[in-house]
Formats: sequence, C-alpha cells, structure tokens
Amino acid sequence: MPNWIASFPDTIKINIATPIDNFVEYINVNWRPFFDGIKTGLLGLLNGVYAVVEFIPWWLLIAIVFALTWLLMKKPLRAVLYAVLMLLIGILGLWSYMQLTLSIVIAAVLMAIIIGFPIGVLVSTSNHANALVRPILDTMQTMPSFVYLIPAVMLLGIGNVPAIIATTIYAIPPVIRMTNHGIRHVDKEVVEAAQSFGSTRWQTLVKVQIPQAMPTIMAGLNQTIMMALSMVVTCSLIGARGLGHEVVIGINRLEIGRGFTAGLCVVILAVIIDRLTQGIYKTEAGDDHGKG
Amino acid sequence: MKKTIGLVALLLAFLMVLSACAGGGNRQGSDSVKGDKIVFADIGWDSIKFHNAVAMLIAEEAFGYETEEVMGSTPITYTALLSGEIDVFMEMWGDNLEYYPDDLAAGKLKELGLNFGDNAQGLYVPRYVIEGDAERGIEPIAPDLKTVEDLKDYAHVFADPEEPSRGRIYGAISGWAIDTVMRKKYVAYGLDEMYNYVDPGSDAALAAAFASAYQRGEPIVGYYWEPTWLLGKYDLVLLEDRPYDPELFNEGLTACPSIDVTICVSNNFYDKNPEFVAFLEKYESSSAITSAALSYVQDTGEGFDEAAKWFLRENDALLDEWLTAEQAQAVRDALNG
Amino acid sequence: MARDKDIVLEVKNLYKLYGVNRNAAMELLKKGAGRSEVLKQTGVTAAVNNVSFEVERGKIFVLIGLSGSGKSTVVRCINMLQNPTAGSILFEGQDVRKLKKKELLDFRRHKVSMVFQNYGLMSHRDVLGNVAYGLEVRGVPREEREARAHEIIDMVGLSGWEKKNPSELSGGMRQRVGIARALANDPDVLLMDEPFSALDPLVRRDMQFELLTIQRKMNKTILFITHDIDEAFKLGDRIGIMRDGQLIQVGTAEEMTSNPADEYVRDFIDSADRSRVFCAKNVMETPSSLIRVSDGATKALSAMRRSGVSSSYVIDEKMVLVGILTLEDAMKAKAENTPIAQYIIQDIERVAPDALLADIMPQAARTRFPLAVVDSEGHLEGIISKAAVLSSLT
Repeated sequence: MPNWIASFPDTIKINIATPIDNFVEYINVNWRPFFDGIKTGLLGLLNGVYAVVEFIPWWLLIAIVFALTWLLMKKPLRAVLYAVLMLLIGILGLWSYMQLTLSIVIAAVLMAIIIGFPIGVLVSTSNHANALVRPILDTMQTMPSFVYLIPAVMLLGIGNVPAIIATTIYAIPPVIRMTNHGIRHVDKEVVEAAQSFGSTRWQTLVKVQIPQAMPTIMAGLNQTIMMALSMVVTCSLIGARGLGHEVVIGINRLEIGRGFTAGLCVVILAVIIDRLTQGIYKTEAGDDHGKG
Repeated sequence: MKKTIGLVALLLAFLMVLSACAGGGNRQGSDSVKGDKIVFADIGWDSIKFHNAVAMLIAEEAFGYETEEVMGSTPITYTALLSGEIDVFMEMWGDNLEYYPDDLAAGKLKELGLNFGDNAQGLYVPRYVIEGDAERGIEPIAPDLKTVEDLKDYAHVFADPEEPSRGRIYGAISGWAIDTVMRKKYVAYGLDEMYNYVDPGSDAALAAAFASAYQRGEPIVGYYWEPTWLLGKYDLVLLEDRPYDPELFNEGLTACPSIDVTICVSNNFYDKNPEFVAFLEKYESSSAITSAALSYVQDTGEGFDEAAKWFLRENDALLDEWLTAEQAQAVRDALNG
Repeated sequence: MARDKDIVLEVKNLYKLYGVNRNAAMELLKKGAGRSEVLKQTGVTAAVNNVSFEVERGKIFVLIGLSGSGKSTVVRCINMLQNPTAGSILFEGQDVRKLKKKELLDFRRHKVSMVFQNYGLMSHRDVLGNVAYGLEVRGVPREEREARAHEIIDMVGLSGWEKKNPSELSGGMRQRVGIARALANDPDVLLMDEPFSALDPLVRRDMQFELLTIQRKMNKTILFITHDIDEAFKLGDRIGIMRDGQLIQVGTAEEMTSNPADEYVRDFIDSADRSRVFCAKNVMETPSSLIRVSDGATKALSAMRRSGVSSSYVIDEKMVLVGILTLEDAMKAKAENTPIAQYIIQDIERVAPDALLADIMPQAARTRFPLAVVDSEGHLEGIISKAAVLSSLT
C-alpha cells in the first residue's frame, strides 16, 4: 500500500522557518537604530504614564473609581463595591504592582489608539485598504502570542518595552475593526445629508461619520483594553513587571496562593475597567433607539 | 453535477479506508509484547527533548512500549510525576527545585541515578566582550573581565536600556531555586550598587535576549546554564567565581556546583516496570554528549528523533552497555532499517 | 415651448446606469430597448433612462413613481450625490455636471438643499446643531448660524426643542427639523426625497399643509419625490410620472386626469382619491335661474316657474351673491306686496372655486340648497348640486 495515502508525503516539504529566522536576525542586526528609537519612545511613554499613575495617591484613585462608577452607572451600591475591591488590591499588598500593570495597559492602549484609529478610518474609506488589512488582523488575532513575544525580545530586549509592543499587537485589532465597522455602518442617509450640504470629505468624516460611529468605536476600545489586560499577564514571560509577574513567580514556585492573589487583582482591575469603559460608551450612545 | 459529487465522495471514502488499513498495519507492525505506554515529561528545553527521544526510541524498539511526551512547565509536570500521570523525568534538576529533596526523602518519587553531572551554570558573557572578534570587527570592550567581581568596573558596558545610567544583569527565571542564589550573589558582591537584576520572565525570553545581543555583537551579561543549544551555538564564557563551598554557596558567595541531573520515575511506574527501570538506571550521558547532540539538531534542522538515531549510531557501544544482546540487536535493526 | 417662463432647473436626457458594460447598454437604450432587455443583454441596470423635465421658479414639481422607478436616483443626480452616466442638469443655465470640486461644494452649500425620507438627522447633535449644520460647513460663525437656526426652528414650530436630541422627537417633528435644516441654508431649490412617506397619514396631512404654507411664504422652488398620487396632486404645480427609469408624462393634475398619456398613468390616477383632484369649479354648473335683488316678487316667481326650480339665487347689480329666495317666500312676498329683500335667506353655504371636493363634502351634505361657488370678491361663479358632488366621485 502506498505510504503517501496514509501520511503526508515526506518529499513535499518546504522550510519557511529558516528564512524567517534569517529575516529576524537580519533586522535585529541591521535595523538597530530603528528599534532603539522605538524603544526610547515607548520607554518615554511608559515612564510618563507611570509617573502620572504613581502620582495619584491610593485614596484618590479609589475615590475616582467610586465617583466614576456613581456618575456613569448611577448605582451607588456598585460604586461602593468597586471602591472596596480597589481597597482589597491594596490590602493584599499588590497596589504598586497594580500601578505598574495599569501603566503598561494604558501605554499599550494609547499606542493601539494612536495607531489603530487612523488605520480604522483609512480602512473604512477604502475597500482596497480593507482587503489588505483584514487578513493581517486575522493573523494577529489567531497567531499564538508567544510566537511574536520572542521576536519582540530579540528586537527590543527584555522588559516592559517589548511587553508594550506585544500587547499593542495583540490588542489593536478591535480598535481597527470596530472603527472601520462603525464608520461603514453610519446611516447612509445621514452621510448623504452631510454631503448634500456641501461637506468636504474631511468635514463629513470628522463632523458626522466619526461621531456617529463613536458608540461602536468605544465598544472596540473596551475590547482592546480587556485584551491588553490579559496580554500584560502573558507578557510577564518576557520580563514585564506588575501583577502578571507575581502570577508567574507564583506558578514557578508552586506557590498557588501567591499566583491566585495576583490573579484575583488582575480580575478586579479587569472588571472595574470593563464596567467603567462600558459605562462611558453606553452614556455616549445615549438613548438613541434608532428611528421610529 | 450530482454524479461528479457522488464519484468524488466514493473516491474519498475509498482513500480513507485505504489509509485506515495502512495506519492499522503500521501499528500492528510495532505492536509489542506488553503494549503499555510510557509517558515522558517534556519541560520545554532542548536537552530533555533529546534524552526523551533516545529513551523513547529504546522503549519502543527494545522493550515494545508505546511512548508519549507530555508538555508542561516544571511545576506542572513535576506535580503530574508525583501523581503518576507522568512516568519518567529524564532530567531532574533537583538542586534547582526547593521542594525536591523533601519529596524524595518522603518517598514521593524514585530517583534512578545520574543522567549527567558535568554541567555548569552562572553568569555568562559572550567571548567577544573579553577578547573581541576580529572576523566580525568587534573590539574587546572588557579585556580584563574574568570574574564575577570584575563586573563592578563594567556596569557602563552592560547598560540597562530601560535605565542607561545603570548596568543590567539578566537574572535566572523567577521561581527557580538558583534565582534566589543569584539575587544574593548580586547583593553580596555589591553589584546592586550599579546594576539592575532583571528577571527575564521565561527561559525562552532569556535565550532570545542572549541570541539577540550575540547577533548584534553587543555586550550582555546574564545567568545561563549548560548543556543547552545556546551554549553549543554561541561562544559564551562563564565568569569565574570563588570555588564552590556548600555553605557559602547559598549565600551567593561561591561558584555554582555542577548540578546532578538525575533520572526520576513515579513510584507506580517503578513498581510495575522493573526491566525498563533497570535500563534507566544504567542510562548515563554527559554534558558534552548532550551539547553535541543539541548542536546536531541546531545545525541540521532535524528533529530530536533523528538526533537520537544519529546519536545511537555514533555511540553504538552504549547499546551493549545498556541493553541485552537481543534488545540491542532490535534497536540496531530499527536504526538501520 | 415659450421661453418667458423662469426655469430654475432643467434636466436634459439624463441617464444613470449601474454595471460594467455601460457603453453597450447606452447604445441599446438609444435604440429604444427596454430596461429589462438591457439588463438581460448587458447586465446593466438603467436606473434612469433618458429623463428630461423643467422646474419653474417658485413652483413645486413632483416626481411620482413606484419604488425602483428611478425617481430617487434622479433627485440625487441633481446635487450629484449620484454621478449621472449621461445627460445634463442645468441650474440657472449652468451644467451641474461640469462643476469643479470646489464649485460643486458651493453649489450644494448655497443653491440646493435636500430633505430625506428617514430624515437623515445626526443623532450626536441636538436639534439646533442639526439645523445649523449646513451653515457650519459653509463656515458661518457660530453666533450667526445659531441665530439663523433659531429663526428657522421657530418658523417650523419647534421653538423650545432646540436642545433636544432628535431621538426624543416624534416622526413629524423630526422631519420638521429636516426641513428646517434644509431651509436654514436659504437654498434656491429644495430637493425633497419622499419626505413624508415615513409619517402616519394624519401627521402627513399636517406636514403637507405646512409645506404649502412655507412654500407660499418663502417662495421656494421645490422638487418633491413621492409615491403617493394624492400627495402629488395636492402639492404639485406640475407632476411627472416615472416608470422603469423613464418619465412617461408631465403635466398638471388636471391635465393628467383628463388626458392620461397611457394605461399606466390612467391606472395610477385611478388609484387616487378623485375628490382630492377635482375642485368646485370642475363640477359647478351655471344656475338655470337668477334673480336680481331689485326684481319684484312677480318677476322672481315667473323666473322660477320658467326654469322649474323651487328656489333661486339672488345677486346684486355687480353679480355679488346676496342669498337665496324660495318659491314659497316669493309667493308670500307677492301676497303681501312687499320687496323680496326681507325674504332672502342670507345664511347659505358658499365655497371657493378651487376648493377640493373632498373638503366641500360636509357642506354639501348639510345644506338644503345647492352650494354656491363664489370667488374671493363674492361674485357668484356657479352652483353645485348635491348630486353633482356625489356623482363626481365615481
């Protein structure tokens, strides 16, 4: 019985691993100033964000969470609950870790917005760009993250900077997708109305399409933040500090309690950020029930 | 149209029956005296994959077992070994695991003897940092760097990209016992004054950091260990330290001892498979052998299976040492067939 | 055609084709092939097929047709929301299709505004922000544009709602916002794409009335799209019927009713409520007997007897209607030998010549006498019997 029926024939094999290795090695060696520039920029961003986060005293941050929850959700009990949860992070002794994790998430999300939003807008206005970007986004979302974590270390070293890059890569697709989707699905008549009054393309985009797409864009941003938060934990495998690092240490030392405690704080942070950002975009969407 | 679909479906069905027979045939061919399955721990680094491949080849060809590798991190696979879900650990870095001596003493698992012991670990720098590399046009940056203590004078050379005024030492992976020792050494030698001790997060990240620096010809200093493909592939120099002393070592004041990397099995496996256990007790390699095999993998791009075959062909005498004449012949037949 | 009319907008041989093989499709269309044949042969859809019409300044031109007839495409070609395949659109003699990008923006900003079927309002702006939008993109300073917006909002009856979100408004109110937004730019031409189709019938009638009021006040030229023949007849000074991308007849409501171009138009018109097409002057007749207020009772009696009626309308020397005199009262007057004046019934139903039959129906039902049709100065123009009102509807 011929062997090629049972198992894939050995003779047709292509090796793309080696060229990829060589490519990474090539840019690692030759594009060094480029990556150094990125490194410096991101480090500056992170330090700036961290300085702000660190500057906010613990009681103020808890008060902010409390006030925002009350304002956005109009639920005083929930505001109390979130404040207590934040307090719990401090009581568990992980406040400073939380601050760092939060800073990395904020930096990565800022990057995702700065890069993703314009791409989303561009993609929404051009079908060619859309056809080009879509498979890239699919790849980014399905490619196991470890696959690009290690090249990130090769190119940017170990630490918080590659973590921001890897997190941005992982978390950027929702911003792009939802910006694109939101702008494309703005009511056709509303866009026609804007055009019929002599709006330029730019005016149509800025005064009508983007504001109309805002609820969708915010939903994308919410997803991005959540993904960033989960990725920041994974990124402790390439040396990112913060709560994720505690989780990894806990696991490596079979200190289940330690890992669990840090994991719990990640969950608290995720829940609060998720509800607050949802609150923001739901408020923005208003009570627009569509048309009668 | 419908006819075509029907024909194609029929053809596919036929092919699938064929392949099922072919597969079945293969399985029958390798069917064994016992038909039991041995589960090996694959903790992700290369040397254990190589040793697994050798042991698996022999388990299949000489003893007629089925084999399987289960992937997982050290704590996970270790827990599985204790519970008997994993049968064999080809590399137990016992000295690196805080909980290992206690568990062994408590009889929670069986140690079958040394796999290799002539290994090294500690702080490494690329050779070109000290000696330069004329071929790559690298000047020696730290010609007088020999010992860990010398690092004090070279913090500017190993600058931390996230805090350039200080140096950076890439530490061991948090959670490994050696990490505690390395952190103590960092303080004991006063390196904490001018260096940051950076946790790489994972061994993959640490390897990537070394590889990246080496490709660029940049200076780097960090913890590493051998036998590893990294040490096989790149020319790194172990910084000298005071001679090993069991008491001072834990304070970070001396060089690391060669760790005895042993082979362990679960209690249950030990009781039920005396013949294979006997083979594992005889099994011994060395750091050099392992590194050579890993280099073979790295250079040829072959898998570990192929590396195992290559290794056993090269070291035919080992088969007679480890196995009965009959078993050794079965393995030889498989290697040549 | 006489050129003394003031034509604002002229559409000439307009084509809009969708598909790849447009040139071949164009050839076929020019040879007189139908829409479905062209689609079959070339895969091209002829949404608009050789449409020409003119719109007079200050008039309402209604394009009517079923959905898919191409009427919405025509209106979108006029402000170039859709780019026509061929033909020309002349606005005050200037071809809109030849405008440069900047000129087209100016054209849209100053000359035409559009009102949409589903309002096309921006949910992220309040009523004021929506109404001021056109002025905003034009670059009018905030204060000025908001003052103007307030003015228009007041005119459409939405004062006090400026800060509301459109989603808080009813359908009718939303479309008022839509109209206000279009008017804020003070355009020469208003394009209205089925503006009232999404509204329920009662609100629709109010809005139609309001539109007519606004139109009279501001004297705007309006191109109005609808699929409702009643609406078309009610609003349109002139009406064009579209079918399968072609314009099959243009004319006034009366012209179409009395002289439909083909079966399709006849069917379309038959679906209309005739009472909303015909007005008093269409069905009135000349009274068979008339009495002057100065006539004596004897003369009045003989006039009535001569024409065999039991009552007669009384007019003065200037033909102004005074009232009605019954045979009975005339006989009384003769017996008492008094002037007929004191027996004239002055409280009678009067209707205007252009009153729609639908509107005079209640009066016709109520009165004992035929309805008197009088012009704005009170001159009697004719009378309408109850029977005439009812029979005109069948």
